[in-house]
Amino acid sequence: MKFPRSAKAAACALAATALVAGCSSSGSPASSASSNQKVTLTFWSWVPNMQKIVNVWNASHPDIQIKFTEAAGGDAELAKLLTAGKAKDMPDIAQIEYQSLPTMVSNNYLADISSSDNSLKSDYPAGLWSQVSLGTSALYGVPQDAAPLAFFYRKDIFKKYNLAVPTTWAQYATEAAQLHKDDPSIYMGDTAATDAGLFAGLTQQAGAQWWSASGSTWSVGIDSAASQKVASYWGGLVQSGAVDSQTAWTASWDKSFSDGEYASWVSAVWAPGDLSSSAANTSGDWAMAELPQWTAGQHVSGAWGGSATSVTADSKYPQQAAQFIAWLNQSTQGTSLLASDGSIYPASLAAESSSSLPAQTFMGQSDFYALAKQYSSQVVAATWGPDVPVAYSKFSDAFASTVKTSYGYLAGLTAMQSAVVTDMKSAGFTVSGS
Amino acid sequence: MTTATSVHEPAASLTGARRVRPRRGRGFRPAPRRTPYTFVAPAVLLFVAVFLVPLGYTVYLSTQKTQVSGLGLGAGARKQVAAGFSNYGTVFGDGEFWQSVLRAVIYGCILIPIMLGLATLFALVLDAQRVRFQRFGRLAIFLPYAVPTLIGSMIWGMMYLPAFSPINSTLHALFGIQGINFFGQRIVFLSVANIGVWGGTGFNMMVLYTSLRSLPQEAYEAARLDGANERQIALRIKLPMIRPAVIMTAIFSTIATLQVFNEPYAIHQISYGGVSTTWTPLMTVYRDTYTANNIYLGAAESIVIAVMMFVLSAAVLRITNRQIFGGEAK
Amino acid sequence: MSILTTASQGMAPRRKRRTSIVPTGVLVLGIVYALLPIIWVLIASTKTTTQLDSYAAFRPGNSLWANFQTLNAYQGGVFWTWMLNTALYAGGGAILSAVVSALAGYGFSKYRFRAKGFLFTMILVGMLVPAVVLAIPQYLLVAKIGLADTYWAVLIPSIISPYGIYLARLYAGASVPDEILEAARMDGSSEWRTFLRIGIPMMSPGLVTIFLFQFVAIWNNFLLPWLMLSSENKYPLTVGLFTLLDAGTSQPALYSLVLIGAVLSILPLILLFFLLQRFWRVDLGAGSVK
Repeated sequence: MKFPRSAKAAACALAATALVAGCSSSGSPASSASSNQKVTLTFWSWVPNMQKIVNVWNASHPDIQIKFTEAAGGDAELAKLLTAGKAKDMPDIAQIEYQSLPTMVSNNYLADISSSDNSLKSDYPAGLWSQVSLGTSALYGVPQDAAPLAFFYRKDIFKKYNLAVPTTWAQYATEAAQLHKDDPSIYMGDTAATDAGLFAGLTQQAGAQWWSASGSTWSVGIDSAASQKVASYWGGLVQSGAVDSQTAWTASWDKSFSDGEYASWVSAVWAPGDLSSSAANTSGDWAMAELPQWTAGQHVSGAWGGSATSVTADSKYPQQAAQFIAWLNQSTQGTSLLASDGSIYPASLAAESSSSLPAQTFMGQSDFYALAKQYSSQVVAATWGPDVPVAYSKFSDAFASTVKTSYGYLAGLTAMQSAVVTDMKSAGFTVSGS
Repeated sequence: MTTATSVHEPAASLTGARRVRPRRGRGFRPAPRRTPYTFVAPAVLLFVAVFLVPLGYTVYLSTQKTQVSGLGLGAGARKQVAAGFSNYGTVFGDGEFWQSVLRAVIYGCILIPIMLGLATLFALVLDAQRVRFQRFGRLAIFLPYAVPTLIGSMIWGMMYLPAFSPINSTLHALFGIQGINFFGQRIVFLSVANIGVWGGTGFNMMVLYTSLRSLPQEAYEAARLDGANERQIALRIKLPMIRPAVIMTAIFSTIATLQVFNEPYAIHQISYGGVSTTWTPLMTVYRDTYTANNIYLGAAESIVIAVMMFVLSAAVLRITNRQIFGGEAK
Repeated sequence: MSILTTASQGMAPRRKRRTSIVPTGVLVLGIVYALLPIIWVLIASTKTTTQLDSYAAFRPGNSLWANFQTLNAYQGGVFWTWMLNTALYAGGGAILSAVVSALAGYGFSKYRFRAKGFLFTMILVGMLVPAVVLAIPQYLLVAKIGLADTYWAVLIPSIISPYGIYLARLYAGASVPDEILEAARMDGSSEWRTFLRIGIPMMSPGLVTIFLFQFVAIWNNFLLPWLMLSSENKYPLTVGLFTLLDAGTSQPALYSLVLIGAVLSILPLILLFFLLQRFWRVDLGAGSVK
């Protein structure tokens, strides 16, 4: 059967495809303009009220204007960035969570800005700096906030049931069981296995390294003894009913806080910002203490989230972009705006000690910042692998359905381990061991 | 009737300057050869640009993969290289993928009969006599279709959450029962299907209702005069007459349902694991393409899905095509 | 003309009839099922976040106006920009789609030509390819030609609708009798004029249906604009509300904004439905759908 017209159409389609596919993508020239040429840079971030902060910069820097777009939030923004990167369509500047930095770097999507400002390094704790430099001499972003884990508890509930602030996990377990027995309608808290970032931070505290690299080989330690320790700990608590097992970040989970169903929350120092929105009626009832330790007398912590601000490889003006980032995340003005308008706990050491950090009205705890700074310095340095999104996605699949049960946590770890190793191998990475 | 003479327009005619080409042949043969191509050209061109070219690109991508050197960090560490059919090998050996296909089939088997049954039922009821609230009912039943799937899923997701659920609290108040776990391993199919039914019935109902309205009234009048009641008219006369529309709706709904993505994706994070990240084939594609950043594997999976659906639908479409378009110029 | 007149064409005299209980009951159940979640959203949009947690599901709050004002103030009123964008994408896209579908449907239905079967099947096969699959390649190609983050990137893919073409072919066959076309040809009318003067008016109820369905489809489309656009002021409502919703997991106060935004985004569709109702006339011409 002859279909001249349609055959022509098909041929055109094939030709177009071949043309498009054959177009090799050449690297984008990172030419920096002369310093008094006006440039406009695009910026993606999900920090609340970032537009206000950007406006302050724009007012005083007419030659470097920032065009801000509110991004959807961690995972969604990363997916969009990765897609945009393939199309060479990324914004000049983007907020990137620490755990996603290796993914972006391994796709060659971030610019190295180590040449632009040498004074930055001294202002950040070593653990955070290694996250943005990935152990090399390059610099892939400037840390924006620090999110050390801490223990938040309801002073009123603890007082009512005669609970002491737990300093070890063993004490936490005992008190959780006691509390729930005394009042079956409330719990010490929700299980930690309901959020991948939280769980990862806790395993870090226990000494697990989910990814590590030596030479050109990666190792995956998701299934390591330290991780298993954390998994069986929380699994046991859920099994005995001492803690609740509810999916986090839902409306009914928020409700549990505002109803007073949870007496504590293992969370990071950004918790007051979140609680003031989801459980505003509990203002003034919360206090922050150090995260319970595995061994009495230790003082280590993990981190839950936190992001850096990076210059992408598609930016034509990396110098100017780096200037803005340094202002945002390190200058006194920038960091105090981040803290006051964006509810960010800044990572910069100078900012952490600054007296211009906004008063904690929700918590009403006078030594909040001193403690936060202390916890920030206790955070164990973490290494992230190039496929953290895969790991987290597998976590939510493997652990979510076991949230209501308990025996599945260890099996979940194994599932995560094998999924991550398989993914890295199929992507061409060299992975040692199993 | 018509003669086979050619007709030439007078130069300054009422109908404009286009010259009618000479007609050949007998009967109702439509005349010019080029014209139909002109009519369908915009659609075909757009189709090529919007579907075929990206599809071709997807096929190309499915034959590629990433090659990593060293740790994979830093410039030049990643390259795109040809992979032959290895991605397809991965797809066929991927148990998770085929499980998601099975789930989509189960989901479809639940959703389609319920949705079409309801759509047909409501269309008939809206077309019947002596039924009240028809005008309002038409708008009301169509309305969920106007709600974006994201919002609709969010609403139903909130209504499924244990602490929030007005359904459970009503059941508890009325019957004192604990409440349904909408995210349980089996029930979750019904829960997700419910969102699909709620959002999709209105659309299908409107298509069937429009068909019903185009039926000649004379057929019913005879039956009514003979004493048939509304139910008999609906089942014995109307339903068979709109059979082509029902079939067409069924096919399109099936195609759409096997591609289900929006509803399960929107609620998977709050579903206590009832809906995993790879619950349906397209969610698997999304996970591999966007989350795992492996567009090559995602492309291979997409092609496999598309081919499966083509095989499934092509035969059925061929058969029903004749039934639906039988009255046209062939 | 009321769309509800059914018996008026018959010979039977109009007399008062009693309501038929069972079908009416079925309809009422259907109405309740359809409207329940919408009523829930309407009520929920009147509550503050605290009230969302503490009030019973169907108990109204008192913050409708406050929520509205907060939404209005959010990012300098970007919500209304989103709504205008959506109207542009949906209105423009649906009109163009209806035109393209009408042309193609008429062409497929009223003519015989060699490639007809192949082309039509090819277009229908297009329906088998899901948007998720095409979205990334479409985006990559659009970015290569430099059209990423433009209105065109969202409009052009929205114009082609295989389902619309299918419907148009159906309606052309049902509502435009061949005899009339022949008569027009004998009068010397060109094909194009015939189409414009005769085909389109006779197909118009069907075209309104196609317009409406494509309008709703584009109005509700999420994945394509989300990928194609990176400037907030070009977002349609779906993408904008998704961004709000996602931000709401860490700032739960935004949930109420999402809810009232959802309510506001449904209203224009209701309005459109009312406006277009009168085009849904009973008669689709002499032919019937066999």
